[in-house]
Amino acid sequence: MNYLCHILTLACIFSVLSISLNLVLGHGGVLTLAHAALFGIGAYSSAILSLHFHCPFLLGWVLSGVICAVIGAVIAYPSLRIHGDTFVVATFSLQVIIFSILNNWHEVTGGPMGIAGIQRPVILGWRVDSAGEFLALAILCVCFAQFLAGRLISSPFGLVLHTIREDEVVAEVAGKNTLRFKVSSFAVSSALAGAAGGFYAHYANYIDPTSFTVMESIFIISIVVIGGAGSLWGPVVGAVVLVSLPELLRFVGMPSSVAANIRQMIYAGALVACMLWRPQGLIGEFSFRRNENS
Amino acid sequence: MVETLLETHGLRKHFDGTRAVDRISLSLARASIVSLIGPNGAGKTTLFNVVTGFLPPDSGKVFFEGRDVTRMAAFRRARLGIGRTFQEMRLIRRLSALENVWLALPNQSGETVIGALLGRHKREEKRRRAEALRWLKYVGIPETANQLAGELSYGQQKLLSVACCLGLGAKLLLLDEPVAGANPALVDRMLELLERLRREEGKTIVLIEHNMDAVMQISDRVIVMDEGRIIADGTPEEVRESVVVIEAYLS
Repeated sequence: MNYLCHILTLACIFSVLSISLNLVLGHGGVLTLAHAALFGIGAYSSAILSLHFHCPFLLGWVLSGVICAVIGAVIAYPSLRIHGDTFVVATFSLQVIIFSILNNWHEVTGGPMGIAGIQRPVILGWRVDSAGEFLALAILCVCFAQFLAGRLISSPFGLVLHTIREDEVVAEVAGKNTLRFKVSSFAVSSALAGAAGGFYAHYANYIDPTSFTVMESIFIISIVVIGGAGSLWGPVVGAVVLVSLPELLRFVGMPSSVAANIRQMIYAGALVACMLWRPQGLIGEFSFRRNENS
Repeated sequence: MVETLLETHGLRKHFDGTRAVDRISLSLARASIVSLIGPNGAGKTTLFNVVTGFLPPDSGKVFFEGRDVTRMAAFRRARLGIGRTFQEMRLIRRLSALENVWLALPNQSGETVIGALLGRHKREEKRRRAEALRWLKYVGIPETANQLAGELSYGQQKLLSVACCLGLGAKLLLLDEPVAGANPALVDRMLELLERLRREEGKTIVLIEHNMDAVMQISDRVIVMDEGRIIADGTPEEVRESVVVIEAYLS
């Protein structure tokens, strides 16, 4: 039972990560490789605020979301002048730089040893302790993230975001400040990723840089793409499928050393299969192949 | 109210040594239809791009309603009232015709993150929908409101592009080949629409066109460009007779 709760909680964390990435990638049409870095900044900020500044969990959680929102906005700002492939490379470098900071700034982040002993969250008197309680909180987070994303996307803000994705010139000719839209969607996306990080830090109660590498960024991208970029429930479906899939391997009787590597092969295989036969993902409508959209 | 809507002073733009726009100075009045004609490569679309802010000029200035907009971003110029359409149709194909016009409507409170989350746009929704529909009716395609823009006929898409400019509240419409490849029925419809816009709404319309019959029929004024310069500027009759123009087209 605890094991099931753990898998589902992980699926929830990755749901929030993919819902937030979907805002930028699926709805905004902008690829970023820095999402795991923001997840990490959220985790570390929340952990440090709790441990070193004795910040109440809720306040620290919100603050780490705000910190990530600001960093996300800063990342997006150069998109004014650089587009497409160049921008992807820029986010890639940012991801690597942030990982490097987490891995080397011993005084603050503990370097490769990470941060241990992160307390259990206490929210308005409720001490979140058991696997079941964490799962409940995680589900609440997913609902909140989904509500936020859904509200944004179905509003005029979402309409303009979709337009920028399809043809930025049309948005400009319609009088829209496209930079503002890109920066704000990045900020919201980053805030949610940071919140997922804060949750993760207090759930796992130990964090180290290896959870926040570029491979994790790519994993989150795979979830969005396979689940269905640009759709409402695609990210959640993708997260549940991709997080639980390798766990099923255990029941097939595979030793865990092999299972870890098979996992990577499965993700890669799934991504390739998706691009070949179903680019819109499991339940998506927007395909990354240009000629399929017109 | 400033009578001159658009003014350019000595606009210059060159690409790799070729002078695409070479010292263009012109001034456009309100409520007029001007055709911009000339051989391919004369710099007409480049001039549009400079005026609308998609290309910065190398030198010279652009004034809109008396304001210097030379360094202003394209989207801000659109907000001031400069609308444009493109030779290669630019519509969002996966949105409906109504949504394409809706997009252009200014001052929408649901376009900020806070506004969207608070749902401020919900109060305006009915009004916005009616507004967008009004422009579809004005150009004559109300029946396409809920159809995807990508599924409309060529003619309907051309009219939709104009509807989007109207939704924006454009005072100056820069139309790049609005009747290119159109059948005679569509040409008539479009010309009638443009004439109505000039007469009823006081719009200033500049068309880049190659269809000479349309140009002669609709224009108050014809400007001829060749190799980046204006070589003739006058009424359709004056321009038609001009030797300079005939030479440019024949050479």
